[in-house]
Amino acid sequence: MGIQNDIVKFNVGGRIFQTTATTLANAGRDSFFGALFDDNWDLQQPINGREFFIDRNPDCFAVLLDLLRTGDLYIPSNVPERLLYKEAMFYGLIGHVRSAKRGPFDGNRLKLSKSVTGRAPGDGTAIRAGPDGGCCVAHGSMVHVFDWMLEEHPPLNLDYQRVNDIGWVNAESVLISACERLGRGDGGMGLFSSYTGDLRYKFNVVHDNQIKSYTAGALCFSPDYKIFASCKGRSNEYGIGVWDQFTGKQIDFFYETPGWSLGEADKLQWLNGTTCLLVATLFPRKDNCYISLLDFRQKSTVWSWSDIGAPLTVDEKRVRDAIAMEDCNSVCVVNEYEDLGFIDLRISAGSVRWSSRSRLMKGKMPDEPCYPKLALHNGQLFSSMNDSISVFCGPDWVLTSRLRRSYGGSICDFSIGGDRLFALHSEDNVFDIWETPPTPVI
Amino acid sequence: MSAQKKKAFQIEAFKHRVVVDPKYAEKTWKILEHAIHEIYNHNASGLSFEELYRNAYNMVLHKFGEKLYSGLVTTMTSHLKEISNSIEAAQGGLFLDELNRKWAEHNKALQMIRDILMYMDRTFIPNTHKTPVHELGLNLWRDVVIHSHAIQSRLQAILLENVRRERSGEVIDRGLMRSITKMLMDLGPSVYQDDFEKHFLEVSADFYRLESQEFIESCDCGEYLKKAERRLNEEIERVSHYLDTRSEVKITNVVETEMIESHMHRLVHMENSGLINMIVDEKFEDLGRMYCLFRRVSNGLVLIRDVMTSFIRDTGKQLLTDPERLKDPVDFVQHLLDLKDKYDKIITSAFRNDKTFQNALNSSFEYFINLNSRSPEFISLFVDDKLRKGLRGVTEEDVELVLDKVMMLFRYLQEKDVFEKYYKQHLAKRLLSGKSVSDDAERSLIVKLKTECGYQFTSKLEGMFTDMKTSQDTMQGFHASHGSDIGDGPMLSVQVLTTGSWPTQPITTCNLPAEILGICEKFRNYYLGTHTGRRLSWQTNMGTADLKATFGKGQKHELNVSTYQMCVLMLFNDADRLSYKEIEQVTEIPTSDLKRCLQSLACVKGKNVLRKEPMSKDIADTDTFLFNDKYTSKFFKVKIGTVAAQRESEPENQETRQRVEEDRKPQIEAAIVRIMKARRVLDHNNIVAEVTKQLQSRFLPNPVVIKKRIESLIEREFLERDKGDRKLYRYLA
Repeated sequence: MGIQNDIVKFNVGGRIFQTTATTLANAGRDSFFGALFDDNWDLQQPINGREFFIDRNPDCFAVLLDLLRTGDLYIPSNVPERLLYKEAMFYGLIGHVRSAKRGPFDGNRLKLSKSVTGRAPGDGTAIRAGPDGGCCVAHGSMVHVFDWMLEEHPPLNLDYQRVNDIGWVNAESVLISACERLGRGDGGMGLFSSYTGDLRYKFNVVHDNQIKSYTAGALCFSPDYKIFASCKGRSNEYGIGVWDQFTGKQIDFFYETPGWSLGEADKLQWLNGTTCLLVATLFPRKDNCYISLLDFRQKSTVWSWSDIGAPLTVDEKRVRDAIAMEDCNSVCVVNEYEDLGFIDLRISAGSVRWSSRSRLMKGKMPDEPCYPKLALHNGQLFSSMNDSISVFCGPDWVLTSRLRRSYGGSICDFSIGGDRLFALHSEDNVFDIWETPPTPVI
Repeated sequence: MSAQKKKAFQIEAFKHRVVVDPKYAEKTWKILEHAIHEIYNHNASGLSFEELYRNAYNMVLHKFGEKLYSGLVTTMTSHLKEISNSIEAAQGGLFLDELNRKWAEHNKALQMIRDILMYMDRTFIPNTHKTPVHELGLNLWRDVVIHSHAIQSRLQAILLENVRRERSGEVIDRGLMRSITKMLMDLGPSVYQDDFEKHFLEVSADFYRLESQEFIESCDCGEYLKKAERRLNEEIERVSHYLDTRSEVKITNVVETEMIESHMHRLVHMENSGLINMIVDEKFEDLGRMYCLFRRVSNGLVLIRDVMTSFIRDTGKQLLTDPERLKDPVDFVQHLLDLKDKYDKIITSAFRNDKTFQNALNSSFEYFINLNSRSPEFISLFVDDKLRKGLRGVTEEDVELVLDKVMMLFRYLQEKDVFEKYYKQHLAKRLLSGKSVSDDAERSLIVKLKTECGYQFTSKLEGMFTDMKTSQDTMQGFHASHGSDIGDGPMLSVQVLTTGSWPTQPITTCNLPAEILGICEKFRNYYLGTHTGRRLSWQTNMGTADLKATFGKGQKHELNVSTYQMCVLMLFNDADRLSYKEIEQVTEIPTSDLKRCLQSLACVKGKNVLRKEPMSKDIADTDTFLFNDKYTSKFFKVKIGTVAAQRESEPENQETRQRVEEDRKPQIEAAIVRIMKARRVLDHNNIVAEVTKQLQSRFLPNPVVIKKRIESLIEREFLERDKGDRKLYRYLA
């Protein structure tokens, strides 16, 4: 590949393409073209201007060649998307296609890219974005897994028990927490392969060297490869269990203290800064709300808040979801009117500082059940309410965008990951994918 | 076979079924297997990458991934077995070369195989949780080649032999060593560690154990350290050339343990060349080397420090108890400073200014300086000497340097109040006799003392300077108002000293000559006239006088004498011959002072303005004195000093100490009261501890004295003993 011979001629499925070795070098060494042009393989091609034959689809090759030339992906209407992805897989360019499809995630630039309808009956339970743009959706006892191309993989279930929470341990593994079945030792937690749907581990709760059956609730992962889950057992096994991701063995258990709630928590969140775990049990699962920060090294509760004993006002405000924001030293909470509230993390047993937007909203409250949820991503705060998701930015959390779609009913859960936002609607079994478009031409 | 069928049926649809040939997978795999053979046989030029890639792709696509993968494992394993055999067959020195060459070839082949099987590597392998192709190739190389029985032990032996040869000075192929160890590292950290590093460290430990034994028998300490340092650097260099960087800590640890740690006591105490000798001979380079090497082992520095500390203490102790040295205080202090300088230099240049060493040095000095109770006096005398003459003509910076050094010694003193006593006396003498070299230097030292010990410590010293200044003004005022009255009479210069600020002297008056008495009276009237409510008394023992004297043949001289000497000499204006008794009677100078002053007037050669009969060194009560008419001197001005004891004599010393003890009493009492006022109730031991803590910046109070002071305070009803617990004291307010 000297400079003079920089021009390369291809015959792809009968069509002639000319390009340069420089353009093809954009594919990287770990691709068909990278290997083809490696010095190991004597490329005997440019003898008397003859072309190099590849037995593939020329239309897809054209799209992929343009991707290598410009970095942009344009799929003409005559090229089926699935076929293009297959061709990209052949050339080893699937990573290029994926990163060209969407820009870096920005809550204020999101566009609805697709809606996927499922075949599951009943209300959705949870949706979780995978690390590379795929997602998994839980309905009743079933979990459906989709990769980033939104190809569906074999569905998962844990003894057909009702699923409480799901999570991506990594791109290849999905964790499911489910209810126990009385007397059978079924349910609990299982780790599945996201490609094949095979169960790889079941996670046990052990007390006094005896394996106990339990109901696993909310899930959470820490960067040091631990799995946390809220556990509700038969007798006194209430609390937060900790397992090792690689061995599947239980390594710790934080027992619930009387008068407080851990085992039925709705939400767990690992805080990297303080290396503590936020545990939140919220209305209506319990009559009161309990939020605490646990330090597993000392087995102590380093911070806690509860609304026990707080006077109920006329416009009753109950915390429905909570998320810790370490950068602001506070916990953000939301009530059923989508009011945001903040609790200072530096003072234990402080009070909620509500920002009152609900007065504007009150007249328009629909009768259907609502599921307020919060998420934090790159300094942007997202909150779902009824059929829309609001985006808040800046130090004072100003409302900057609202994502809404015309059908599907209330959003029961949403999740952000792999540069995508997934929103699961409770009716019609549909979920939406919101993406940031690629950066503008100029 | 298919051609036959085609002929027989001639159905179009059948053609398509050919594609799903039941042997399709087998055939495709044969093509790929052949390609892998060709790659290992360096025949890849005839292969079409595109075709092979497509074939592998198709196999995976048609669900034959498992076959492809297991075929790859089998084929690669059989090739590696062949390779293993050919390496085993390599003779002697060619073994490593062959291994290295085959490794490079395998790597290249592996890369090409991975290229062909890229699609499988990306899709089939992660989905089925199998080992990726590249890693598989490395694992097989490890298991089939490196861990084959014939190769494993031989490889290990050759590598270790090469290291041994290099240690004994031979040149080896480092590039080859580097490639082989890199291969072991590429195969995973555990391979490198188990197959090489572990044995390497064991062999090295044995080697250095033997070598260090040999060195320690034959070398002196400095030489040994040089060799150890060289070995250490060699190992570090070896790591950088052809070992894993993580081995550096481990191998240096081996060298440190074997060459330094196991011999460190012997090295430090080595006869004629150990640490002490290095210090005595100021071998900075050797000391620095010892520091750097010993720092690497635990307790190494502690050992050096302890030996150095005990040596400093011994040297210091000798210096302080050597009666010869104690004869000259200035020389003595200079010795201390030199000693300190020497160790400072050792610590800065050889011990990298190590804080712990500095602390050890300080505590050693503190220890031995306070062994001698006269240290405060000597240090003050040293300052006195410097400020009187030692610093004449020296630049300001050098003055500061000397003063700073003195302050450093001062810091070591526990009895700072004793120093203060002496310093006050010496300063007073300097100020009154006008002998101080530099006012700036004096004040600079005061400032230093003030920063060290606080305002209280120096307030009286500063008072002395103020007195000197006011006296000047007073004298100017006196001369301005009485200048005309005095006329040709003697000039008077008076320094008015505040009682308390100056060292107290028992008032010993003498009878002044009538000529002086008059003007003194005038001054007294002037002073008391301007200041009411004051009392003036003359300190005749501290003054000086300039006399004009005419000797035989009209020789004129100006004599600079003390007040007492002046009184004596003035008597000879009216008489040529006086007996000791007569002089004593008229002047009423205290006996010891009078004898000293007569001695200086009559017995010092060149300054003997009086003659004594009989001629002898000492003054007896029966002696007679005559005016020495024949006195000559080549100088016009003659200074007749008093024969003065510079150092305090033993009884004087006792007296000073007693005064210091007296002064401490109120300070201790004040401290006790301060503490008890805050605590209300406290037991004996705690009071002693707190008092000691409060006062240690000035002196170390004796617990017995503290106890006495407490008892005195109880008597005076400042404190009382607790009724229940006799050890508790209560504050009474």
